[in-house]
Formats: sequence, structure tokens, C-alpha cells
Amino acid sequence: MINIYESVSANKRKSAVIIVFFIIFVALAIYFISQAFAVYLGYQPGGLGIVGLSLIISGLMSLVGYYYSDKIVLTISGARPASRNRDFEFYTVAENLSIASGLPKPKLYVIADSAPNAFATGRDPEHAVICATTGLLQKLDRTELEGVIGHELSHIKNYDSRLMSVVAVLVGTVALLGDWLIRIRWFGGRNDSDREGNQLGAIMLIVGIIFAILSPIVAQLIQLAISRRREFLADTGSVALTRQPSGLISALEKISRDTEPLEAANKATAHLYIINPFKGKTKSAVSTFSNLFNTHPPVEERIKALRQMA
Amino acid sequence: MILTWILVIALIVVVFWVFSTYNFFVGSKARIKAAVQEIGNQLKRQSDLIPNLEASTKGYLKHETGIFSKLTEVRKSVESAIKSQDVQKMADAGSKVASLLPDIKVIMESNPEIKGSEVVVKLMDELRDTSDKIMYARRLVIDLTADYNVKRVSIQSSFIANLLKFDEITGLITPQEGEHVEVKAEETKTPKISL
Repeated sequence: MINIYESVSANKRKSAVIIVFFIIFVALAIYFISQAFAVYLGYQPGGLGIVGLSLIISGLMSLVGYYYSDKIVLTISGARPASRNRDFEFYTVAENLSIASGLPKPKLYVIADSAPNAFATGRDPEHAVICATTGLLQKLDRTELEGVIGHELSHIKNYDSRLMSVVAVLVGTVALLGDWLIRIRWFGGRNDSDREGNQLGAIMLIVGIIFAILSPIVAQLIQLAISRRREFLADTGSVALTRQPSGLISALEKISRDTEPLEAANKATAHLYIINPFKGKTKSAVSTFSNLFNTHPPVEERIKALRQMA
Repeated sequence: MILTWILVIALIVVVFWVFSTYNFFVGSKARIKAAVQEIGNQLKRQSDLIPNLEASTKGYLKHETGIFSKLTEVRKSVESAIKSQDVQKMADAGSKVASLLPDIKVIMESNPEIKGSEVVVKLMDELRDTSDKIMYARRLVIDLTADYNVKRVSIQSSFIANLLKFDEITGLITPQEGEHVEVKAEETKTPKISL
């Protein structure tokens, strides 16, 4: 039995710890890789210029996604705007929960797909979008729908799509830098004679290459860990709004039991949904390992966490 | 030289902290006020829906005059509560309406021709939705006042709160004692349902 206030602050704390860990790791990786660049190119501050360049490229790639995420996702998924008459439950539940959370009502869209699922996107609460499939609206009752919409509204309230795009920029930066360092070796860089007698330089180079190979993967794993922690946070946020864990629990059960694949989803939009649209094919022995590569925590664990609040 | 810099930076940090704490208190007060107005807004909507419901069911319900006089009475208290802009009055009026809903529902269920009417079903949905909205608007007031009051007594921010005289906000009042907090022996038993 965990009090809802404690649960929210515990989740925020854990999430902050992972994010701090991520930032430290990215800083270290960038430092070592740029030091290795410096050794190669033969002048000390050289690394920073390259870091800046990779940050700009990675940033530009994500910026478009960040500003137009709502429009892009909606176009890909082929959604239509929800209307009060046609989707009474969806519309009013979203309206009610935005009152409770003190946020402006997000734009609401419906995807014609019989697999039950929902997602939220948009860079801040003013540009937020919540999208639900027709399957979700048909299969869930009002209490369950409140749980799901509460979860999506908590994502919006916590600025999760902003956080995840900043994280993506940093992961992209590290990956670009690592890639460049490995490629530049084939172009030769400086003569071997210049590096002679410089032991520190040699060590830096080796450490830098190790980081260049490993850090893109590690950074991605931490990125996924952040994503999973934000899902837990959104679950508790939903309960904080509705005060009815039972609604979200039975909604999660219903959605996860449904075996129909979501046609509108693809790899790029998968992390946005309330439950991973590519449902787990792996079970038991391999699952703890494969969980490392998932954007969402396993449904059983989410339900267990929610039960503790019930 | 370094010491001066440290002092300057420390001073800037403190000033920022004071400003942000002050802004939190002022902002919270404004948000609580807005949330209270939202309750009034939703109550207004609810009291507007009731005459519609009356009009569309009156033909069927000539013998159920009791409920109509109750409805009118509740409507009056809602309107006066909105005029007063008082949280407590609004909350009371809201719970009065909520207590009527089961009665209305019983009447609907026992009159199949009303239950079948599409207009009435729609109106009942709207009524239910509006009472949900009032509930959520009240929750926002409760949550915001809780945040405000917790911050007011927490260790660093209480300093600012005392210094600048931010008083406790009562929010919605629920009596701390009385019948509703006692549990009677028969209420602890599992209800028997005979089908």
C-alpha cells in the first residue's frame, strides 16, 4: 500500500536519477571521444569544434520532429479530429481530466483501427495532441478510458515528448561523434612520428575509441530506461488524477490481452503509445534481457505497481 | 577576489530562490481562484441542463411531482451559490445535485417509455458528465490548496511564507467529525445481493 503522493515523488526521484546518470555518461563519452579527436588531429581544442558540429546536426534532425511532431505523427497515423457528438465519451473524459489536471484541453484525434491503443504527443501542453483508436473507444468503458486518458495527460503534464527529444538529440550526438572517430582512422589522420613518446595521447586514443564503439549502444539503453521510467510516472500521474487505479489496471489488461496488431503504428511512433503496439513475442527466460530494449515496462509490472496503490 | 565572486553568485541564487518561491505562492493563489470559478461554471451548466430534462420528461411523469419541486429547489441554491462565488456554498450545491441524480435515475429506470427516449438518454449522459466535471474541478481545488499549504509549512519556503504573510487557504471544507466518519457495525458486512 503506497500513498499516491509518495508514489508520484518516488517516481520523479527515480526518473531524475536516471536522467542525471544519462547526462554524466553523455558528457564523459563526448569528452573522451573529443580528446581522441584532439590526439588524431594534433591540436588540443580541436575536439570541441567537432562536438559542436555533431550537436548541431543531431539537433537539426530532431528539431523538425520536435516542432512538427504532432502534425507528422497525425499524418503518418491517418487520424481524424474527434467531435463531441460522435465521440462523446472520449471527448468529455478528456475535457474532464484536463479540468482536474489544470491543463488546457489537448487536441483530440481518432484513428480508425480496431486494435485498442492511444498516444499523446506535442512539444508542450498548448500544442498537445491525444489520439485514440476506435478499438479503444469501443472496448473500454468510461472508467477505463479515464485511466488511459489520465496516463496520456500525465505525459503531457510531465513534458515527456520534450524530454525524450532532448535525450534523442544527445544520443544522436554521441552516435555521430563515435561514428566519425572510427571513420577518421581510415583516412590516416596524423603521422605516427608525431605521436611518438606521447603516452597520454595513446591512452586517450584507446579510451576514445572504446567509448566511440560502446557509447552509442549504452546511451540508447539509458534512453530506453528513461522512457520506461516515464511510463511508470505517467501511470501514477493517471491515478493521481482519477484516484481509481482499478480503471487503468483493467484497461491495461484489456489492451494487452488484445492480440490484434495496430496497423497505424510503426517503429518510429511505437514509443508514444500507452502499450507497445508490437506486443511481446518473448516470454520468461529471455524477457528480462529483452526488456532492456523495450520502450515500455512489461504490463505485469505496471499492473503490480498500480495494485500497490489500490 | 574569488570570495567576492562566490558571494555574488550566492546572492544571485538566493534572490532567484526568493523570487521563484514568491511566484509559486502568488501563482497558486490565482490558480485556486480560477479553479473555484471553474466549479461555478460547471454548476451553472448543470443547473441549465435540469430544466431541459424536466421539459422533456414532464409529459411522462405527471404523478412524480415531488422530484420536480426538489429539482427547482436545487436549481435555486446552485444559482445563489454561483452568485456568491463562495467555495463552500458551491460545493454544497454541487453535492445537493449529486444526491438527486440517483432519484432521477430510479424514476427513469421504472418508466420504460422514458428510458427508451433518446433525448432523455442524451440528457442523462450530459448530467453525468457535468457532475464528473464538478468532481474534477473540486479535485483541482483540493490538489492546488494541498500543494500551497504543504509548501507554506515546508522548511525553506515557510520562511518566505511567514515573511510575506501568505496565510493558509482552507479550500473545500469537509467536517472532521460527525456521522460520515464513523463506520457502523452493519456497514462493515458484505452486502447480500439476491437476484
